[in-house]
Amino acid sequence: MNTRFIDWIWHVSGTVALAPGQSGDDAFDQLDALFRQPGTTRQRTGDTLTFHKKDQLAQDKMSVFDGGVLRIENGADGPVLRYRLASRALLFCFLAPLLFLGIAQLTILQGNAWKAPDAAKKAAAKKADVPMNPIDKALGAPAPEKPAKKGADKPGGKNKKPSPTPAYVFAGLFATLYLVGRLLEARLLKALFEKRLAGQ
Amino acid sequence: MIGTQSPVTIGWENIPKVEGGPIKQFVFTWFQPTVLFALIAFWYYAPNSIAKTSTAIGIGIGFKVLLMGLEWVNPRYESWRLTWKELVTDLFYVGLGYTLLRMVDQYIGSDVIIENIQQSMHWDKFAWFIGLPLLVQALMISLIFDFGQYWMHRAMHNWYPLWLPHSVHHYITQLNINKGAVGNPVELFLIGIGIGGLFDFVPRAALLAGAIGLAIGTYQHINVRFNSPRWWRFLFNTTEHHSLHHSQDYEATRSNYSNTYIFIDRIFGTCIDGEAELLGMEGGRRMAIREQMTYPFTEGWKTIKERFGQRPAAVPAE
Repeated sequence: MNTRFIDWIWHVSGTVALAPGQSGDDAFDQLDALFRQPGTTRQRTGDTLTFHKKDQLAQDKMSVFDGGVLRIENGADGPVLRYRLASRALLFCFLAPLLFLGIAQLTILQGNAWKAPDAAKKAAAKKADVPMNPIDKALGAPAPEKPAKKGADKPGGKNKKPSPTPAYVFAGLFATLYLVGRLLEARLLKALFEKRLAGQ
Repeated sequence: MIGTQSPVTIGWENIPKVEGGPIKQFVFTWFQPTVLFALIAFWYYAPNSIAKTSTAIGIGIGFKVLLMGLEWVNPRYESWRLTWKELVTDLFYVGLGYTLLRMVDQYIGSDVIIENIQQSMHWDKFAWFIGLPLLVQALMISLIFDFGQYWMHRAMHNWYPLWLPHSVHHYITQLNINKGAVGNPVELFLIGIGIGGLFDFVPRAALLAGAIGLAIGTYQHINVRFNSPRWWRFLFNTTEHHSLHHSQDYEATRSNYSNTYIFIDRIFGTCIDGEAELLGMEGGRRMAIREQMTYPFTEGWKTIKERFGQRPAAVPAE
């Protein structure tokens, strides 16, 4: 498979044009606040800025990214900022559906070995009906059902045969979230750089 | 002294109100009680064909999606805004709760423990309980459960072996709808062990108790500003109370342990009315998922080595 595509999974790259007359140093100065965050280390050498983040805060505007390189280059229409950042969160979200598909398979295995609990049968034999308090009757609450399968009705449904459906739902959810995140975070990052470079 | 390590707001009179027009004020004042009473009425009168666990799960999910909308419209703090990364992390834990933990729970969870106790102790004698009015049953279930939660949670903050798994949950730096699910999986077993399940009850009463818990407890972790009525915040746990509990200030975290009924804290002298914006541990360091999974074990191992390992110099015990 094309390695560029594999890279695309958790790397975000792009270019932003510098404002007319803006030097590389000016541009990095404008962006500096983004890298003065807790858990962030940065190094500037000439036209290149390298940064790493560890345990970045949720409130950090670049919290999705764990490291990357920003470089000032000469584009066709003047200097541009070229960046390439890596995100473990994107990789994690990409892999999460596989995890939940695996869990779904485990649930199916568990379901194959599942036996109806004996306690439910015993309880059903013992209790003929469920009493209803006169107050509830007067207020018009529906009469309780006879507990034919006591265990099966219990809240939480813990005595039911395990179902893989929730795991499939989460696998789908994370696949969707990945696509949304990969596109959204790339756009947000570009917008953030553009805004900062424009001095806003 | 409270608030010496990180800023906190103490006292209801100092807490900001909902800003905006009269309709917004009205909605964010009466939303909480309306939902609570509507849910109680629903579960009380719903026909047996509807009053099922699957309906409860559906309502729970729908309610959380609605609250996510409210977080968007009326956030309590801009710094708690839900981001894509936070959502993914939170949902990962929610997903574990719905799948893997439920699977393991069938073998070693509280259901198994309760079943064993019931078998050995003849708890069937408590069958009189199901003759009580539904709402009394529901209130008793939720009160007994919350009472158990209160002491379990307080123990987690006071006994190191229990604190280790719980500490991970305290590394969250903002409150959002699904943050209640974030924590080391070991903790989720501990918190699931309640004594409410010991009683025999009508399923409808349990669904009612669950709905009460949902309509009150959910607000512990949420980024929405409400003008909760005075009686509400006197009786029930609120975001304000729980944000103090998650504050970066150590003294503030030693308060407001209950899940639903803050009056349990009032009774035992651990309630503090107030709120905090800066949350977390170690100055708000955000813990990555990998560390969240291993932290109780690595940290526990470190402590054991410090205590029992061969060391040339004496080390203070605490």
